[in-house]
Amino acid sequence: MSQFIYQQKQAWAGLKKKPGFVAAVVATMGTTLGALLCILTLAYVLIAKPLPYPEQDSLYRVDSVFQNDKGEQVGRAYTYPSLIHLYENQQQFGQSSLLYLSQDVLTNSLTQPTLNTAFVTPEYFKLLDAKMMLGRAFEVTEAKDANNPVVIINHQTWVDEYEKDSDILGKKMGFSGTSFTIVGVLSPSFVEPEILDTGRAHHVFLPWDFNHAGERARRAWGNINNRQLFIGKLTASTTVTQVEQRLTTLVNDKWREEVNSVEFFKGWNIEIDVQTFKQVILGDSENTVYLLLAGVIGLVLIACANIANLFISRTAEQQRQLAIRAAVGANKKDLFRTIFAETHFLMMLSVGVALIISSAGFFVMQYYLAAQLPRVSELSINFFTLSCAVIIALALAAFFARLSTRMINYKALNSTLQSSGKGTGVQVSKSIRKLLIISQVAIVTSLVFINISLFQGAQKSIAKPLGFTTENLVSLSLSISSSKNPPREESIAIMTELRKKLLTLPQVAALSQTGSPLGGFNQNAQTSNANKRYVINTKFVDEKYFGMIDQPMIEGDNFSAADIRDDNRVMIVNELYAKELAPEGSAIGQQISFGGDQKDTIIGIIKGTIMPGQAEARMQAYRPQDLSNNHLIIELVPGQTLTRKQAVSALKEVTNLYTVFDLIPLNERKTQMLFTQYTTAITSAVLAIITILLSAIGLYGILSYSTQMRGFEIGTRLAIGAKGKDLIKLIIGENSSAIIVGIFVSLCILLGIFIGFNTELADYATFQLLPIFVATIVVICIISLFACYWPLRRFIKRPAIHSLRGSD
Amino acid sequence: MNNIKIKMTNIAKVFETDELETHALKNIDLVIREGDYVSISGPSGCGKSTLLSILGLLDMPSSGEYFIEDINVTDFSLDQAAEIRSSKIGFIFQSFNLIDELSVFDNVALPLRYSKEKISDDYIQQRVTECLALVDMTHRASHKPNQLSGGQQQRIAIARALVAKPAILLVDEPTGNLDSKSGDQVMSVLEKLNKSGTTICMVTHDPRYADMATTQLKLLDGCILTTPSFVTVGEKEAV
Repeated sequence: MSQFIYQQKQAWAGLKKKPGFVAAVVATMGTTLGALLCILTLAYVLIAKPLPYPEQDSLYRVDSVFQNDKGEQVGRAYTYPSLIHLYENQQQFGQSSLLYLSQDVLTNSLTQPTLNTAFVTPEYFKLLDAKMMLGRAFEVTEAKDANNPVVIINHQTWVDEYEKDSDILGKKMGFSGTSFTIVGVLSPSFVEPEILDTGRAHHVFLPWDFNHAGERARRAWGNINNRQLFIGKLTASTTVTQVEQRLTTLVNDKWREEVNSVEFFKGWNIEIDVQTFKQVILGDSENTVYLLLAGVIGLVLIACANIANLFISRTAEQQRQLAIRAAVGANKKDLFRTIFAETHFLMMLSVGVALIISSAGFFVMQYYLAAQLPRVSELSINFFTLSCAVIIALALAAFFARLSTRMINYKALNSTLQSSGKGTGVQVSKSIRKLLIISQVAIVTSLVFINISLFQGAQKSIAKPLGFTTENLVSLSLSISSSKNPPREESIAIMTELRKKLLTLPQVAALSQTGSPLGGFNQNAQTSNANKRYVINTKFVDEKYFGMIDQPMIEGDNFSAADIRDDNRVMIVNELYAKELAPEGSAIGQQISFGGDQKDTIIGIIKGTIMPGQAEARMQAYRPQDLSNNHLIIELVPGQTLTRKQAVSALKEVTNLYTVFDLIPLNERKTQMLFTQYTTAITSAVLAIITILLSAIGLYGILSYSTQMRGFEIGTRLAIGAKGKDLIKLIIGENSSAIIVGIFVSLCILLGIFIGFNTELADYATFQLLPIFVATIVVICIISLFACYWPLRRFIKRPAIHSLRGSD
Repeated sequence: MNNIKIKMTNIAKVFETDELETHALKNIDLVIREGDYVSISGPSGCGKSTLLSILGLLDMPSSGEYFIEDINVTDFSLDQAAEIRSSKIGFIFQSFNLIDELSVFDNVALPLRYSKEKISDDYIQQRVTECLALVDMTHRASHKPNQLSGGQQQRIAIARALVAKPAILLVDEPTGNLDSKSGDQVMSVLEKLNKSGTTICMVTHDPRYADMATTQLKLLDGCILTTPSFVTVGEKEAV
């Protein structure tokens, strides 16, 4: 052991004199290793690590999937009564729970924040083995139909809203006119499973009975809502397929019985789909993680090639010292150990840096990517991270030491001592040099190409026109602060007065009583004249909506104020829908049925819209808004703002029945919705730049080394009459074959990836990728040319004697 | 009177580092005519290698003027210097400086490939064969340098130095890396060449070989010591 310490001390003494070398190695290896550890831990947490619940592989989410008469899937959601029927009658799951996920305004607080609310049955806490820090979980007193107004808050809410008040139990929270008593605070160790929205933690848990499903919805067998869920733990040894079959029969038979008389649902069926918690939580992220892993491994490989160069140069520098050691009795193994002491020291330093960087990486992911990647709260430096770090570091240290030792021609080493430094004692074979160049070029070309493609794709998505404007527009949503909705007449009166009040504010230019254009569509069943059945995204709008958001009318008329006031049976459709309804001619005048006897007449055709990040347009329908509706779009005078405070005070002057639920500028919301695209664009741009930098350094390193080793040959050629450009042509010519092979290898790699992941990449691969590939090759060529030219400068910009003497 | 091939006036070379100024050459005046065989000798550190590298345009003088065949090459750019080297100067090094990856033929042909004018392959073939014949090495044209003995390598180097018909051969310790027998062989080649009209300027510290030259210059501490004829001396009279 003391021998080891002695060698490490020696290594440190030698390295101290070369701070530039140490900095280069530790910086390069530290950052790339840090990124690798970060992504490896993410992969481990998402893919390998079990969920933090007991018997987690027996936890399932059960979905109801609607299939129309053609067997197509048209919706994944429950009708309220179907869900209740399932909960009360199923026998497959030993334990099960209902969930309803929503949001509400905390009315009895100064700031009246909007909180995420989860309505659950008591089994929820048992299923997840949720530990309480204070108080109790839900018990039989909160079972379905007990209507007991109590609430449990999560740990973060206890910190943020109540400042860790130790007397919290018994205090009240007001939602929608009901007062709930706090009976428990969840432990900070509780990890809420993200089984519907990634990254959304619920601040409060309320009993199932108080969920936001309206009176009508609770009885309607034809209305679906995807925010009501069923989870359960399978205790019996049945297979998932068996469970699905039995539950399908249970739910579908009942549903068919109830909707037998409804024409629209003729031939429709419900299928039950059972997924593990893991499948649900992981979702699409698996692909993302693999992509990230591939990218980071590529970076690490480039870094390794760069550092291999640095070690090669260092060994060449050290040959005199190595020769002296050999002369006093060191054999090959001893020389290996000497070099290994240095590489080991450097790798351990790099690991230290890597751990710091991966911690920073975890922080970034938790802060910014919580909505994109599930389970990020579970990311931390754990045993897995540390063991990976140590193993990788040791392997690399051994690899670099081995590489360096192979360079040493042990027998020729002593000739170094006699010929004072010029000689063949330490040489890197031409084939290793060529291999290093090829591998650098291949990896860099592939990585840069992939990154540029990703960047382009994200950028296209961001720049894609939505079909409407979001400038100077703010969306305001109100929520009702009483337990019962006021009668329609009262709501209409309140909204009318509120609209008048808001229009008096100097910053408000215009209003539309419609939900934000960045959402608000619901799937509605409709039947056409020709008796064809559709499920169409439908939105309720007033007469000012299209004008305010600059959505152009193509044919026919907009709604009039009278249509809205009198609730006329008219509707507007987008081009796509119109084309579907009337492939030749105009859809104006056609009638659509929404169930029952009433039919709506199409009076206008409008240009369609897409949501930010959406790839394809869909059919859309618009119907007249009800004047009691509590959503507004406010057009502001350019340059002006409307704060939540101002909105709240304007509202207070009109009524206490409503509170401000949400007030957000549309531009901000649009940016939020494009978050994934922005992140992809930034990440891929940064990765591309880092890759190019690293590869430039790497290629420069290799070519600098080989040029340096040929100093005498270059000097000779200069002495005989070669000019600078003759030498440049020589170096480029000799290395161009390796560079071309590298580009060819990268082409094979990319084709391999494309063929291997054909289905996933089908969207990406178009002929537009060809200019990107050409651009990448141009970049690589420029880097390579630079790397060939720059090391030559010191030889060709000075009189030839300097190369012959080999000075500095 | 023969043509003047080389003329140096008041040449000086100073090496500067952060702390030190080394005057390697001071006030060198030198004339070499066509057909001369000049040797430059002196103790270690006297500046003879420095003088030879300035003669060969491998380095720039700090002051003074330098003419090659009446062309003022003192302030030539690096590229211009290279052109002169490929056409007017033939250099022979102590460590041969042949390129191991090229065959003997290609080594000898190298200066021609760097010449300013385009030279036909036929001419290259003819000229290389001529030069190899001059040094008795035609039978080794396709070998690689590391397959040859030291003496043979040095003769190849001489052939290379001759191939572009230079105005002068500059020779730096040609026998330094050779045993005495090979050394004698090489020196006899040089003598033969000079007898047929080649101008030679040679640096050596071996007095036997220095004596083979018709003119012997002694260098000490950067100055040429007084010699009887042919050359203009510097300021100091040597002891």
